[in-house]
Parts: sequence; C-alpha cells; structure tokens
Amino acid sequence: MSEVQRRKYSQEERTAIFDGEFMPHIDSMYNFAFRLTFDEDDAKDLVQDTYMKAFRFIQSFEQGTNAKAWLFRILKNSFINEYRKKSKKPATVDYQEVEAFYNSDDVDYQSTSDLRAESVKDMLGDEISNALNALAVDFRTVIILADLEEFSYEEMAKILDIPIGTVRSRLHRARNLLKDTLKGYAQSMGYGRDEEED
Amino acid sequence: MPNRWDTAGTKRRTKRSAMENNNASSGERKLQCSDVSKCFELLEHILDGELVEGGNEMLQEKLDRCQPCFEHFHLEQAIREVLKTKCTKQPLPDKLAESIRQMIQDAR
Repeated sequence: MSEVQRRKYSQEERTAIFDGEFMPHIDSMYNFAFRLTFDEDDAKDLVQDTYMKAFRFIQSFEQGTNAKAWLFRILKNSFINEYRKKSKKPATVDYQEVEAFYNSDDVDYQSTSDLRAESVKDMLGDEISNALNALAVDFRTVIILADLEEFSYEEMAKILDIPIGTVRSRLHRARNLLKDTLKGYAQSMGYGRDEEED
Repeated sequence: MPNRWDTAGTKRRTKRSAMENNNASSGERKLQCSDVSKCFELLEHILDGELVEGGNEMLQEKLDRCQPCFEHFHLEQAIREVLKTKCTKQPLPDKLAESIRQMIQDAR
C-alpha cells in the first residue's frame, strides 16, 4: 500500500462505490446543505458540487470506511469555501460572538435552563426547526451532525477538522443555546415550570 | 376550547403525579446533585452514544437516585428525539439524484 492513500478503482468499481455507497446519503446531504444555506437552489448546487468532487476524488476514498462522513466533510468544506460568501442569510453568523465562545474547551456542565422534557415533546416541528436555524452556523453544524445524523464525536472531529475536545465543548454550548431558545418558546406556550393551571 | 385545555391540564397533572409516585416508590431520589458538572457531562456523553466505562450502571444509579440527573437526562433525551424526528425531513428536490447521475455519466 502506498503512503499516499490512493486506490486504483476500475470503472465498474467506481460506479459501484458511487451508486452503492455515496448516493444512498443524498437525503441527509440535502438536508445538511439546506440547513447551511437556507436556500433550495444553493442547497441543490452544493449537493451537486459535493457529488462531483466525490466522484473526481474517489481514489482517495477508502472502501469500507464511512462514506457518509467522507461526503459530509466535502460538503462542509465546499460550503465554507464557496457558499458561505454568497449564502442569502449569512447575517445569522456573528463571528465575534462565536469566537468568544471558543477561547476554551472547558465546559461547565450546569443546569442551564428550567425547560421541561414534556414541553419540548409538545413542540411543533417548526419551532424546533426555527430554534435550530437561529443558531450561528458552527453551532448549528455540530447539532446537525450529532443529533440529526448521529455521527460520533470522533467522526465529527474528522468532518470539521477540529479536536474532539472542541467538538464536545462546541456541542455542549450549541445545546445550551438551543435550550435557551426552546425555553422562550415553552414560556410563550404557557409551559412555565411551576405554572400549571388548574 | 376550554375543554381542550382541561384535558391537557389533566394529562399534565397525571404525568406529574406519576412521576411523584415513581419518586415515592424509589423513595430516595436526592433533590440536589452533589456534582452536577460531572454527572451532566456523563449523561450527555451516554446520550451521544459515546462509550463510557461502567456507563450503564452509573446511568441507572443516577436516574434512580438523583432528581436533577433524572430531569436533565430526560430533557436532553427529548431534545435529541425532536431534533431527529422533526428536522430531517427536508424533501429532496425532484430530479436532483437524476441530474447528479447524469453529470457523472457525462464526466466519464
């Protein structure tokens, strides 16, 4: 095996990998792209570009490894390099604020909200979705990877090119921000903690 | 309309009293957690599917004995569930898969 991890797949093998290992993830890929760009056309372009790149660089994909993580990594990088600039809703990203959060990987696990599991379960899809979309892109991304797509911390570290400790702390902060938003919704729905009407 | 609220109220009270009964039967769920930071970190890692040595036993112990851990676990679990069930259904545009296959075909 050469040091440069390149395979020589035959035409048939490439087709088999592409159809058998890459295409089945298209729903997840599109969902991820849409939640990054908030725009159907941009999401479509992003997914198409990602699949083109995946095909072009298929020799660097090692069969038997996690194709979905590999594809998500390409999509995330394409988004950063090409789409973030022209994304129609980039204003939700407040980098100063986000960066200030990243100064340390230390996380204090506290009970940050008095949100109840019952009120979360009663929420509508739109509320959950809006709360997720309201997060800055880096926080939104870790929630998508962890909770929607169920990647492990290790896979997330590879997809995002960050250390595992940073994955954990970023995820924890993202969830706290999400809970704050959900708490606001819960209160407006009349699910304040000790205010159950008789 | 008032009926609907009554029903919901009853449902919530029922849930709540079931929880209280549950507490009463185990009899000894602490109301304060002595190490929230460490416990919540552990609970969240377990929910994220990360292997934690002795995790299952510890989890059971926390859920049986500690009210803040019990509540935190169920809240975190509920959030993960709603995200998974309600945010993954973005419908794929017609013909996207087809056009990708076509592009690959042309690129060969």
